[in-house]
Amino acid sequence: MKTREMERALAGADPVGRGRLDGLDLEAMEADLLADLESDFSALRESEAARLRPRHRKRLALALGSTALAVVLATVLVLTGGGSNHPSRAYGAELIRFAESTPLLLLEGPGWRVQNVSQSGQGAYVPRSSRGAGSMEFVTGKPIPYESVRITCVRQTMSKSGKFPVCEAERESGMLPAAVRQRKVELRWFHGSLADSLATAHKSLHPHGQRWIELPVLDTTADVDTRAEFYVNQGERGNRQMTALWSEGGYVLELRAAVPDLAAFEERLDWLTRVDSRTWLDAMPAKVVKAADHDAAVGEMLKGIPVPPGFSADQIPNEGVTTNRYQVGAAVTGTVSCLWFRQWGEARRSGDTAAAVEAERAMATAREWSILDEMAKEGAYPETVWELAREMPSGYWEWAGHRHPLLPRAEGLGCARWGIPVLPRKQRLQRERR
Amino acid sequence: MGVSQIEKMGTLDRELAQIRFARLYRDQGRAILAYALRRVGDPDDAADVVAETFLVAWRRLDEVPNDARARLWLFGVARRVIANRHRAERRRTRLAQRLAESLRAELATHPTPASEAAEVLRAMDELGGDDRELLLLVCWEELSPGEVAKVLGISSLAARSRLHRARRRLRALMERDESAGSPGPELDMEEAG
Repeated sequence: MKTREMERALAGADPVGRGRLDGLDLEAMEADLLADLESDFSALRESEAARLRPRHRKRLALALGSTALAVVLATVLVLTGGGSNHPSRAYGAELIRFAESTPLLLLEGPGWRVQNVSQSGQGAYVPRSSRGAGSMEFVTGKPIPYESVRITCVRQTMSKSGKFPVCEAERESGMLPAAVRQRKVELRWFHGSLADSLATAHKSLHPHGQRWIELPVLDTTADVDTRAEFYVNQGERGNRQMTALWSEGGYVLELRAAVPDLAAFEERLDWLTRVDSRTWLDAMPAKVVKAADHDAAVGEMLKGIPVPPGFSADQIPNEGVTTNRYQVGAAVTGTVSCLWFRQWGEARRSGDTAAAVEAERAMATAREWSILDEMAKEGAYPETVWELAREMPSGYWEWAGHRHPLLPRAEGLGCARWGIPVLPRKQRLQRERR
Repeated sequence: MGVSQIEKMGTLDRELAQIRFARLYRDQGRAILAYALRRVGDPDDAADVVAETFLVAWRRLDEVPNDARARLWLFGVARRVIANRHRAERRRTRLAQRLAESLRAELATHPTPASEAAEVLRAMDELGGDDRELLLLVCWEELSPGEVAKVLGISSLAARSRLHRARRRLRALMERDESAGSPGPELDMEEAG
């Protein structure tokens, strides 16, 4: 094969070829990017003010986001509530296949349960290192809340031109207290070479140095990094982060846990148990949003949400076979909000005050939409909906001391991709595409 | 450097910076997103890479070239962001969250690669990371060797010579597969389902 033919074949294998991202409304997300920057600015000011404060010199100032930067786990299934003590259920082939695409491991410690499961795609275009990769979270006690990790600028300077603040040294903070983190164990799996994974781990950031040992796990031996802290301000007595790496069944497995000491980590490794697919699925909490339950979940989420005339629940997109409540909640609240914003935009353009006020009143109830309260523990979508609803009567949102029209920001809820563009330009585009 | 200097940005400089930055995002956002998706696959991770890359760009705006080279500069940042990703920790910004939500819907399914494409992807999987990146920059990002050199922070001469070696290795892998009788695209086709 000639070089040119080979490169043509490679170019033809581009997973993001021309047109694939055309439907994506990147411009609508500009407002989100600007909001991120606004947080960045505030944080730098706060950081500088803290630096100059003589007595109460705060060690941790924010650099990336004065609003919390969330650590979100992308989940194929978000499993909330429930536990393993319910009778065995009948499972569809889809779920059995899903279970069997994992290493079928459970952490059978007393009082521990599954909180999240995530499995990445298998497609040929998914990079080899990601194919078949997945993770599970096991927790004990109360559900572990959404963890915010903030980036701290501990040393900053101005850029060479003197125009821009530049952070020279960062520190991440805002993790949950050690006692809370120690109620969680993460198990990850991926196809690959254990030797490569160990080599990478040996090269990774270790703020407190490295200390590797071997410990038994299942029928094999794991290499355990007993100083796997990622943050500088972790790692003191009673607050350790450890990672075990081993391979079996074609997978490299990684178990990560915050623990008070080595004995606690050994105990967690010992709890790891291989199970069959039915037992694995039995361990999943009952409240899984599946295709079959999607309509019921949508109906439940819509309760108490005022909908525009002519609304039908069919307008809410069903985006997956198994999906998480956050995504379904975003589709439900987003669709309804987009419909109200479309009515509002059209009413303001045509001078139909009654229709505009109707939309404003409907959106003003967003604070009471219970699904948004639930979602707020996991991400920032509800905050955006609330913010948009609040600014509706003025018609503007403020950024950096300037007022910007609200409608383009509302478009960023995902309206265009759900087929409900709110901006006239997008509506025109939609008509042309049809 | 003090608060006053940062506060000074509250006026004209800051507004100019915002305008320039918004233009940078509009012009290059899609290219950076495509770059990230091609390398990390998972839409959530790709969204994080885009958001983080632009935050770095914002903080170092005066280092970003004011012409077509801005794209190369951003590719270089995105490459480092990907290399520094820590699997367990994810910094989530508003943009990343919204982008991830859109991407999940937009790219819900992967296209099925043609058999020739499946073969070349299989061979690419066996290449070393550096060789792979060089070839992807040329074939997917459509960069010239000189531009590749800028992204990778190496000399143009080194980029050409490494590219030559990477092509040779890829060709050898593909010829080996051909002569051994390729396992066929069935596996990937099934996976792509």
